[in-house]
Amino acid sequence: MFEREIDNFINKVRTRREFLKVSGKSIAGVAVTTSVLNLIGCSKTTGDEDEPVDSVQAFVTPAGLLVAEANRCTGCQRCEMVCTVTNDEKIHPLISRVKIARNFNYGEEITDNYRHENGYFGNFLMTPETCHQCEDAKCAAACPKQAINQSETTKAWTVDDDLCIGCGACTQACPWNMPTIDSETNKSTKCILCGACADNCITGALRVIPWEKFEATVRRKGYLVS
Amino acid sequence: MAKVTGWIGNLLRVNLTTGNITVEDSMKYKDLVGGAGLGYKVIFDEVPQGTKAFDEANKVVIAVGPLTGTAAPCSGRTNITSLAPTNPYHAITDSHMGGNFGPWMKFAGYDAIIIEGAAKSPVWVRIEDDKVSIEDAGSLWGKGTVDTTKAINDIMGKEACIAAIGQAGEKQRNLASIVNSVNHSAGGHGGILGAKNLKAIGIIGKRAVHLADENAKEWLKLNEYMMSDIIGANNQHVVPNTPQPWAEYHNPGSRWTAQLGLFWGAANPPVETGECPPGDKNKVGLRTQKAIFDLGPVAEERTIKMAGCYSCPIRCQSNMYMPELEKYGLTPYATSTCINYSSPGTAMVKGYADGESKGMDAMITKCLGSRLADDYGIWSNYGQLPRDFRHMYNSGKLKEVLPKEEYDSINFDLLEKGDPGWMLEYYNNLIGDGEFSHLLDGPYWMAQRWSMGDEYWNEYSNNIWSKMAYPKHHSNEAGAQVGVLVNIMFNRDANSHTHMNFIGAGLPIGLLKEIAGEVWGSPDALDAPKDYTPMNEYKAKFAKWSIDRNFLHDSITLCNWVWPMVVSPSKSRNYRGDTALESKFFSLATGIETSEEELDYMAERICTLHRAATIKQMATIDMRNEHDTIPEWVFNVDPDMEPFTEGTVKLDRDDMQLALTMLYKEYGWDEKTGAPTRATYEKLGLKDVADELEGLNLLP
Repeated sequence: MFEREIDNFINKVRTRREFLKVSGKSIAGVAVTTSVLNLIGCSKTTGDEDEPVDSVQAFVTPAGLLVAEANRCTGCQRCEMVCTVTNDEKIHPLISRVKIARNFNYGEEITDNYRHENGYFGNFLMTPETCHQCEDAKCAAACPKQAINQSETTKAWTVDDDLCIGCGACTQACPWNMPTIDSETNKSTKCILCGACADNCITGALRVIPWEKFEATVRRKGYLVS
Repeated sequence: MAKVTGWIGNLLRVNLTTGNITVEDSMKYKDLVGGAGLGYKVIFDEVPQGTKAFDEANKVVIAVGPLTGTAAPCSGRTNITSLAPTNPYHAITDSHMGGNFGPWMKFAGYDAIIIEGAAKSPVWVRIEDDKVSIEDAGSLWGKGTVDTTKAINDIMGKEACIAAIGQAGEKQRNLASIVNSVNHSAGGHGGILGAKNLKAIGIIGKRAVHLADENAKEWLKLNEYMMSDIIGANNQHVVPNTPQPWAEYHNPGSRWTAQLGLFWGAANPPVETGECPPGDKNKVGLRTQKAIFDLGPVAEERTIKMAGCYSCPIRCQSNMYMPELEKYGLTPYATSTCINYSSPGTAMVKGYADGESKGMDAMITKCLGSRLADDYGIWSNYGQLPRDFRHMYNSGKLKEVLPKEEYDSINFDLLEKGDPGWMLEYYNNLIGDGEFSHLLDGPYWMAQRWSMGDEYWNEYSNNIWSKMAYPKHHSNEAGAQVGVLVNIMFNRDANSHTHMNFIGAGLPIGLLKEIAGEVWGSPDALDAPKDYTPMNEYKAKFAKWSIDRNFLHDSITLCNWVWPMVVSPSKSRNYRGDTALESKFFSLATGIETSEEELDYMAERICTLHRAATIKQMATIDMRNEHDTIPEWVFNVDPDMEPFTEGTVKLDRDDMQLALTMLYKEYGWDEKTGAPTRATYEKLGLKDVADELEGLNLLP
């Protein structure tokens, strides 16, 4: 059971990475189970090994496997700060390419049952949201100026500031509203996979596991991925 | 002119009497840094001498500093300055809260908010960038801080930060707090908002906080250096509390509780704290497993995670899964208050039903009490409130002062049985309208009302610091004379952790003394615990530095529970920290190259202004005898032992008077009275303050 779970995971990662190599595009979301978490060295778990772990999301990105663990996030919001210092030389949660402040109080939406729902006013849980670097990037497709293109070097969907007119079509088109318009520059801010957020996460709730490291880890455990 | 960075440059003034809302230039307060420094000047200049805390003429200054919102580590604090209703003279104090409110002020475009006047009926203030309005709070009055916040978030959106008072503030209790983000509370000024009919302030804004030109790369480098090499755990404890292979030292008193096999056990999946050696900045937030430190091993499996303030990598609060609370009508989630969980526990004066001080009953009680205290907006007065209750109950005095009908209506059986349900009885009666609620008057006014005698004031275990009526806070037990000098300076409990964090860092005393020698001129600045020596000038320097850094942190704003960085966990640095880090962040935030010495000089200015505001309100210059008083127990504890013998924290009266003289000398204050001289005011750029005090005949 354990091995099948990991095989499935690695197969998915392999398929998506191969797709990434061919098309230069990425695919979001890989189901993460307890056994997979143990495999890639995330939170140690003792639960049912087959069950998907809701608190953990993994994304295949050109830079590596991006893992976001809600159970480790303490809401310090330093990921947002370091993101905007790195990319904007200023600080504000709104323009951060990783999002946590907006879910801090009440999770994704405020309800009358808020004391039982996600967020600091409920069960305390919050998830750092990241750009999925989608295969079929709706932000890029929606841009009327074709200002969002894949960088040849990072393979991340990247905004060309010279072309961006700050219309906000990317924000609207993204299913998770991840790109936002900086009201001071009137340019779209969008994740370029610089990794600053994960590099500075104080608990490892956000991590980018580089592909070399990922492959070495799974190979050590007797699995193959190329 | 170059763009102003660090500060926003705007001060928002809201007059609740007239409804006038104005924006002024905040940069005229730049030499006072911000936060507390700004607050002292506004109160000194604008609130007439002799005003009482709940008078319409009193003002509340909510202010942050140039580091707020810049992402400097541990910069999430908000400073609130006003007259203190607990103080016998209604002298000036600060209250402080973490959470998100301070940075949200900067994002909305303000360094400070001045609340003045009083509304005729309940209101709340709505701030969305430059759109500011006074709204009706009729439907919010009577609600706790959490429901109030939710109701305002329904109007302003879920991302707005709300600072609110609870029932204690509404009823103008002296021990009332202002609370944002569930459990981030500022103690002692909640009743003033109640007197002004101001239920809450909601704030959100779109304005970014800028770093000085092209300093982002330097900022990232400095951040990397601090996070990798300098920062420790909660209270800047720099060694783990268990032996670990990487660690040369360990200390069981350390809040660095992380270790292999210790989890956030109620996380799904559980998170192991593990070993978190210096150099690994992705584990700094795991170092402090605060729940087990506060509540004992029983807390591990109930720990959802750690929490804390905006921008702080030291997570000093614990979030708990406590389904037992549902029995009391609450949700199964609990979190510590700003002084962990200790205050509700102290109110269990007959212990717990299961007989364990850190067992399951204690944990249920403390989680329940913490939830109620923060929701009702009750300030524990650094744990003095439950000690006052304990004294009243155990001495039988409570039965004497409460009307029989009221006394009989309170279910003291719960208390006697150690039942967690006592928390509901206790807190509900505190916010009630009976005589019991006068425990919230604070020591001075309660003692007057109930005619308390010396047995209350002088009992060591009561912790009261002199007739100034605040509790001791790291005093003679923390660095001998240094701790006492820190405790005499303020008008509430000394919220200065500078000296205590250094003393408690966990390093061997020999190493600490070496570092003390480098920072304050001689290893003699620091005595070994309970092995004290007579006063010397290096202790005076250590005390002054501790006090000044506290004023600096409350002004700049940084958290004095973690800052300053005198020591580090890095063996490669021989455990040296970096006391210039504040000035390095300040320089990068503001673009004004400022040295450590220059910043300390600004801190000295802020401290002296605080002294001036105290003198003005007390209408005396005799600080030595009227203000800087020291409780009897400092001198008569351990009756069989002499001061300066090993094994006691007892101090000597004459030596302590010498200590005051030496501290005054360090500040350039009059050595007889402890009041700053005109020359000192003028040297610090406070000539206008000296002029005002001269007019009141309050210069030495």
